[in-house]
Amino acid sequence: MSRKITIPVILLAALALPFMTANTYFHHLMVLWMLFSLLALSLNVIIGYIGELSFGHAAFFGIGAYTAAILGMHFGLAGIPGILLAAIVAGLFGFVIGYVSLRIVGPQFAILTLGFGSIIYTITNYWVDLTRGPMGISNIQPLGLWGGDGIALTSAIGYYYVILGCVVAFAYACHALMSSRTGRAFIATRENAPLAASLGIDVFRMKLLGFVVATAVAGVGGALYAHYLTVVTPDVMSMQYVAALIIMVIVGGRGTISGPIIGALIYVALLEALRALGPLRLVIFAALLTASVIFLPGGIVSLWRRITGADTPHQEGAQ
Amino acid sequence: MSKETILEVSGLTKAFGGLTAVKAVDLTVQRGEILGVIGPNGAGKTTFFNVIAGSLPPTSGSVRFKGNDCTGMRADRMARLGMTRTFQITSLFPALSAIDNVRAATYRHKKTGWAAAILRNRAWQDEEADVDAEAMRALEFVDLGKRAHVNAEALSYGEQRRLEIAIAIAAKPELLLLDEPAAGMNPEEGQRLVSMIKRIRDEGISILLVEHHMRVVMGVCDRVAVIDHGEKIAEGKPLDVVNDPNVVRVYLGREAVHA
Amino acid sequence: MDYVVFAQQLTNGLVNGMTYVLIATGLTLVFGVLHIINFAHGEFYMLGAFFTYFAAKLLGLDYISAAVVATLGVAVLGIFANRLFFWPLRKEHEFTVLLSSLGLALLLTNGGELIFGADPKYVPSPFADSVFEVGQLIVTQQRVLIFVVGALVLFGLNLFIRHSRMGKMMRATAQNPEGAALSGVNIRQVYTVTFVLACGLAALAGALVGPTAMIFPTVGSWAVLKGFIVVILGGLGSIPGALIGGLTLGVVESLAGGYISLGFAQAIGYAIIIVVLLWRPQGLFGTARRT
Repeated sequence: MSRKITIPVILLAALALPFMTANTYFHHLMVLWMLFSLLALSLNVIIGYIGELSFGHAAFFGIGAYTAAILGMHFGLAGIPGILLAAIVAGLFGFVIGYVSLRIVGPQFAILTLGFGSIIYTITNYWVDLTRGPMGISNIQPLGLWGGDGIALTSAIGYYYVILGCVVAFAYACHALMSSRTGRAFIATRENAPLAASLGIDVFRMKLLGFVVATAVAGVGGALYAHYLTVVTPDVMSMQYVAALIIMVIVGGRGTISGPIIGALIYVALLEALRALGPLRLVIFAALLTASVIFLPGGIVSLWRRITGADTPHQEGAQ
Repeated sequence: MSKETILEVSGLTKAFGGLTAVKAVDLTVQRGEILGVIGPNGAGKTTFFNVIAGSLPPTSGSVRFKGNDCTGMRADRMARLGMTRTFQITSLFPALSAIDNVRAATYRHKKTGWAAAILRNRAWQDEEADVDAEAMRALEFVDLGKRAHVNAEALSYGEQRRLEIAIAIAAKPELLLLDEPAAGMNPEEGQRLVSMIKRIRDEGISILLVEHHMRVVMGVCDRVAVIDHGEKIAEGKPLDVVNDPNVVRVYLGREAVHA
Repeated sequence: MDYVVFAQQLTNGLVNGMTYVLIATGLTLVFGVLHIINFAHGEFYMLGAFFTYFAAKLLGLDYISAAVVATLGVAVLGIFANRLFFWPLRKEHEFTVLLSSLGLALLLTNGGELIFGADPKYVPSPFADSVFEVGQLIVTQQRVLIFVVGALVLFGLNLFIRHSRMGKMMRATAQNPEGAALSGVNIRQVYTVTFVLACGLAALAGALVGPTAMIFPTVGSWAVLKGFIVVILGGLGSIPGALIGGLTLGVVESLAGGYISLGFAQAIGYAIIIVVLLWRPQGLFGTARRT
């Protein structure tokens, strides 16, 4: 099947998905899938495209969520401006943190992001005046157009479509990136930074650009999450979410677009399907991550390619 | 051939602690010229090359490219000015196909960015078509047209070295710095390289070549400079240089000059 | 009075610092010798504490024997961790190894929660309730034990690395793995011994600290974060750096917590990571190479 057929089919299926069931709990799971897809796609820009590892991505998700919550609480902003502001605030944090830390690459960069993430987490926990501390912020307004204008999105299906729209838009942006001069520079930077520099690519700027885009999109995800659940606590920045996002990207397939979306589906579906197993679920996720790292570095997506016999590299370059 | 100077190195010195690897070397490359820098192993050629290419800051002296001072300039800025280098140890984008390797190299002279790709506007379409055509042309230039969709890491050693040259010329530099391009090549491949370097010059690209394979240097260079113990000991036409008593003395017992 | 408070804070800081030193030494050893950042290092600390708890409870051992059994048990686990998660990946990209160790960390944390239960436990020790008084300073005997054992173990480790045959092989591997292998160093053995030492040290820290605080299965991520802070402060791969870095962090945290606020004390460690990595990527005292 060619791309021209598969993409519309997948889009139609995604649009029809909520009508497969009337069970609102399933609708809730679909929202989570889309939300994690958006976040995993954003982390994928860092892991898959610019080739760095971030252990602090959940912090930007949290910054977006808190920005939306605080804006709603103090200014009654609960619509598109709030989401844009959440993206800007998260992106600004991303810019400052990326600007100072991307001079260091590799494992040390990963630890730096862990440090920054932990600081943001700690501040969120202790700056009670602003964030209400460990209690978190509740009663966040549902999503509207401009906020306070009477239009409020309350159904899970509604959120599903809004976030699906974001996922499709961002996935398309990632796809466009890969067939653009900028995207080629990202991949060149990931594959061989000295060679990229010798071709005129400003490696630091490319990494910073990728990092800022990724953090801003994580901010959007956070804002949508806050409006949807109407509650946000510092836990969204915890190591558990950091690990979950990394698992989605790695198990799904880094450097691809379908990989993180499939990874998010696996995460949400397994978490639900294995609910009865309790803590064992997380052991299974850890095993999945390790097995994927060791035996299937290209993730589930590469398995598909292996079966269909396409001789593409395990990390998709420009296509 | 015009007599315009494209690269001017003056008084270039690089010291590592007490050891001076390059001592006050002056050198110029004319536009359209192939200049070879040779010297026995350990003579300081590689250090000299790295200082010019911007990967090492010089201790003193200056490098001027097209009249602009670019001493110690970062490699990517130097590349944007029009000076591209290759690496002594094979340096590619290993997980990408040959054609994607070369596509990435067109970065310098292309303009449209991410936004244009999202909009799929005319400028983007035209430029993508150019990128594909130029990349294919560069691959064909080094006889890799049939291997375009093979991953770089799956190519043979000789093919990989040719792919490096395709990458370098796809960047459309005005000056190309080649760091021991014949390293590890057999005589037949070396011969192929010589003709390839000449064809690159015919495209209007000036070349500075650092090499210790005499045969390559003699076959292709317009002028040759000899470095020993960090100092330039001779410069001139290849035939004059090999007969220079200083050069003969330096190479005596190490490697036959007429090899 | 003020002086006494200060001295008390300082003492507490030094004791906490020695815990950090014990955690960080293993982390820095694995990095220094094998160039691996082991994200799962904190889990061995957690296991050390829990093994001590269960050795005392199920086997009826006294605290000291239980701590010894736990330390040895976790050290043996280190062999398996190495064989399954690190040794097979020795030629892979550094991210692969880092991700593999993240997988191991999640496996041990969640596995620990599954087996030990999520509720906090308390390791019994006869030294936990007896105090040691010097003037107006009050320190529990357990905390004195932490400091003394920590100092002795570090001293022993130093002798081992400097003078034993294996220690020399480890240092050779640290400098140049290929060269070491060529000159007859058994790299496989070096991997095993390094992980045994590192995991044993982490477990010992857990066994010692267990009685001074509640233990729970997620404590490993706390431990590894402290370890990272110390290692970065002292320089990745440097054991004297881990000593100075650990004690410094302990004292700074204790003073910041006492005089400013607890939240600040928490954040200051992370701030240290950032400042040091940006200002001196090789660490304040470190000799590790810049990457």
